[in-house]
Amino acid sequence: MKPLRVPHALTPPLLRRLGPADLVMLCLVAGAIATVVAFAREFEAPLTPAVQIDLRPAALVRYTLYSLTRGVLALAISYLFALAFGWTAARSRAAERLLLPMLDILQSIPVLGFLPGLVLGLLALFPTRNTGLELAAILMIFTAQAWNLALSFYNSLKSLPEPLRDACRMAGWSAWRTFRQLEVPAAAHGLVWNGMLSMAGGWFFLMVNEAFRLGGRDYRLPGVGAYMSVALDRGDAGAMALAVTAMVVMIVGVDQVLWRPLVVWVEKFRLDETAGSAAGEGQGSWVLELVRRARLVRRAAVLRRRAYRTARLAARPFERPWRAARPGTLVRASRVVFDDPRARRVAGALVIALVVAGAVLGLRGLVLLVARLRGPEWARLFGAAGLTFARVMGAVLVATAWALPAGVAIGRSPRLARALQPVIQVVASFPAPMLFPLVVLLFERLGVGLGLSSVALLVLAGQWYILFNVIAAVAAIPEQLRDAAAVFRLSPLARWRVLYLPAAVPALVTGWVTAAGGAWNGSIVAEYIEVGGRLRMTEGLGSLISDATARANFPLLAGGIALMSLIVVGWNRLVWRRLMEWAQARFGLAA
Amino acid sequence: MTPGAVLLEARHVTQRFRLPNGQVLEALRDVSLAVREHEVVALVGPSGCGKSTLLRLLAGLARPAEGEVLYRGRPLDGVLAAAAMVFQSFALLPWLTVEENVAMGLEARGVHGAARRDAVARAINLVGLDGFEQAYPKELSGGMKQRVGFARALAVAPEILLMDEPFGALDPLTAENLRSQVVDLWRDPATGVNTLVVVTHSVEEAVFLAGRIVVFGSNPGHVREELVNPLPYPRQERSPEFDDMVDRLHAILTATLLPEPTPAAPQRLIPFPRVHVSEVTGLLDHLLTRPDGKGPVFELAEDLGVDYDRMSAVVRAAEQLGWVITPGEIVQLTPAGRELMAMDDAARKDTTRARLARQPLFGRLLGMLKEEGAVEDEEVLADLTIYFPFIPAHSLFETIVEWGRYAELLDHDADAGRLVLLGWEGAAEPREE
Repeated sequence: MKPLRVPHALTPPLLRRLGPADLVMLCLVAGAIATVVAFAREFEAPLTPAVQIDLRPAALVRYTLYSLTRGVLALAISYLFALAFGWTAARSRAAERLLLPMLDILQSIPVLGFLPGLVLGLLALFPTRNTGLELAAILMIFTAQAWNLALSFYNSLKSLPEPLRDACRMAGWSAWRTFRQLEVPAAAHGLVWNGMLSMAGGWFFLMVNEAFRLGGRDYRLPGVGAYMSVALDRGDAGAMALAVTAMVVMIVGVDQVLWRPLVVWVEKFRLDETAGSAAGEGQGSWVLELVRRARLVRRAAVLRRRAYRTARLAARPFERPWRAARPGTLVRASRVVFDDPRARRVAGALVIALVVAGAVLGLRGLVLLVARLRGPEWARLFGAAGLTFARVMGAVLVATAWALPAGVAIGRSPRLARALQPVIQVVASFPAPMLFPLVVLLFERLGVGLGLSSVALLVLAGQWYILFNVIAAVAAIPEQLRDAAAVFRLSPLARWRVLYLPAAVPALVTGWVTAAGGAWNGSIVAEYIEVGGRLRMTEGLGSLISDATARANFPLLAGGIALMSLIVVGWNRLVWRRLMEWAQARFGLAA
Repeated sequence: MTPGAVLLEARHVTQRFRLPNGQVLEALRDVSLAVREHEVVALVGPSGCGKSTLLRLLAGLARPAEGEVLYRGRPLDGVLAAAAMVFQSFALLPWLTVEENVAMGLEARGVHGAARRDAVARAINLVGLDGFEQAYPKELSGGMKQRVGFARALAVAPEILLMDEPFGALDPLTAENLRSQVVDLWRDPATGVNTLVVVTHSVEEAVFLAGRIVVFGSNPGHVREELVNPLPYPRQERSPEFDDMVDRLHAILTATLLPEPTPAAPQRLIPFPRVHVSEVTGLLDHLLTRPDGKGPVFELAEDLGVDYDRMSAVVRAAEQLGWVITPGEIVQLTPAGRELMAMDDAARKDTTRARLARQPLFGRLLGMLKEEGAVEDEEVLADLTIYFPFIPAHSLFETIVEWGRYAELLDHDADAGRLVLLGWEGAAEPREE
């Protein structure tokens, strides 16, 4: 149906026809509201530690929406955290010196290990409602999403050109206005792209977050992760396929409805005026078009502007007249609290005191717990750490073996990159642990035990970081360098040797760092797997942590997590960072 | 308009910065400057002389480490609301339209509603941007962007307009056009602007705009001299009086940039100017084409299309190596310079090697290298920081490496992070020339 073509001025606004765009918009909004209401009810319901999962397809829709709501809520919290964190770290040098190393540690330690503590603590806080359990799940997703967002915002603030800041200060903008109209818009691009990565990262432990065993007790929340784990328990292949499908649909849906429009829209906020980024440029978003076309949205904008104007008119009598403010008045810095060095120092000291107090308390608790471990247990911990270390490194090696050539091949061909990008993006966003049990069964058929097949699982957990980084680096090789390689008739082999490989090295190292981090995290679920009601575990630090969780052996759990954190952070500092500096200095393309 | 009461004053201000490598640079030392009502003051001087730093202090955007800034006799405690600023890089928010950018400063000054719309429309009209109200900055040319910058500043009807190289990023034609408009705006009582402070790189610009020109020296930044410019507005470029004024300012700047060598301390360490080998040979090449192989430094800068302070750095490097002399503001090719240009590449390197070895800074470095064969970067950088606290050590280090490599005196092992000596025998031989 075509809306009647009547000049806009002639039709009263409310009588203008609603188009199909409005219908779709209404459906989307109504669906979102219904989901939120249903989830709120679940959230507030009396405590059911292990909910009965209904394996019928119809129930799966509801479960998927619940999982999605948790992810979105966690993302919202992550954004709030990132804004607060980045702003504080960028404003106060003392806070910066404290917060940045903390972030570095937080993003490299196995967050999954904190699940038991979080669950028990929150259950004690909300003993009668689902709230505690739900909050624990959301916070666990948060811990996988927040750090790169915070770092992205911090970096954006730090790289803001000084004249822009000066211009806002000369205009007399308050800290709040500067935050809203300068700092957040300038960071918007990075925040959206990192939000996309965060969302994918947040799904990684979905299954464990929604269904886990703690001290012999089962905990299960309604969600697609719990659905999959029950399907695995019962060996119901049909339900497993359905869960995987639901997950893929959800990932594609979120990408289309949330991220695509944001990525297109956020191009407006780029500070540099050079052509748009390779990914954001020239891409449309049907959802954004829909929103722009929907009359209701435009109507709402008009109403908002009108309300604002009315409020302004009403406030007119109270406004100060124009010239009065001019000669001789200073915009006092003390009006803006954070412009005053004293206030900033006090605020900084407060933040530092809080963080230090928290760290001291946490450390004390940890030491008290770990002190209960005895000699043989330590020996077992270190032995297990060695095994897992070997697996992680093996996984990085295997992942590199396929992802490096594939990444170079995709990166050097824009056509291939365009065709494969959406596919890879969905596949990479898919939480690999959901597939772990299936992979393990497959390897068992081939007669390979978990000790070896867990390496394959760790490859699944880390490979995409390597692939993405290599693709990006090779795609960023300046056209002229490729032209030079062509002009001087380098053989394909020589091109690899002198151009593609060296150009990919810094990105490869970056990929290794993240891949190894992902693999360490993944070991917690890869070395300890339950399929069809039968538990399989292989010696390693990950399985030790999982086992300690299931048996509620807190000293061992604390020791395992502390050891893993120490290894990851230490390895980052001593090996990866040096390797990165070397690779950047030796092979970095930016002169 | 004659200058009136003191409006804005910097009293004995000193400012320091900490570089990322920990080195503390003194940008300004004990600078005093008073800006009077109805006055146009230009701040000129070589880059790194702290003139932009002083402008930020006057605006209240930074606090001096020592000394104070007074507005109408009262110490400044925050951003000066009576002032507006125009930036070299325009500093427009790309996500706001022209209109919204121009309105940025109005709300905090209590201008809302219709008054705000009026102020914006008037400012946009003053700079001739009518019709572009809804455009985004990225749709505008550089000149148009800077018009938005001016409109944003004029919209708040500031008493004092501070400008940090406002025409520096524009092409010459656009700059010329906008420059005369700024004078018109200042003379127009409707704008409410009665005092201008402009930081500039261009001598002609300073003479065209300012009633008083303050010349800065560097290392650390300080006021060298003040020049009163009595030419009546509007000023005619290329008129004899104008050219006369330009020449006087040239002479002052030359004395600042190319100080006569002090014979008292021949062994004193002097920093090697941070210029490239090709720039020095380029200068010598150019001088060869001139009658008698000489020319005034400002003319050379103009002919070669470089800043005058860059030009003077190149000249100082050539002078240290004995290839030019600088009587007054004239740069004169020496016989040694002529000889050098007649040589082939290898001979040039030999000569450069010999001359560099006699330069005190290179000489000291070579002495260290001869003793130890190789010296860590860190050690050299620490030494440079101690000898020349006002020069970023890393950039001086890069210059040393470039010249040392060119002359095949020394090499830099980037992987090991150290300087190594190259065949010292080769370097020693032309020493006995």
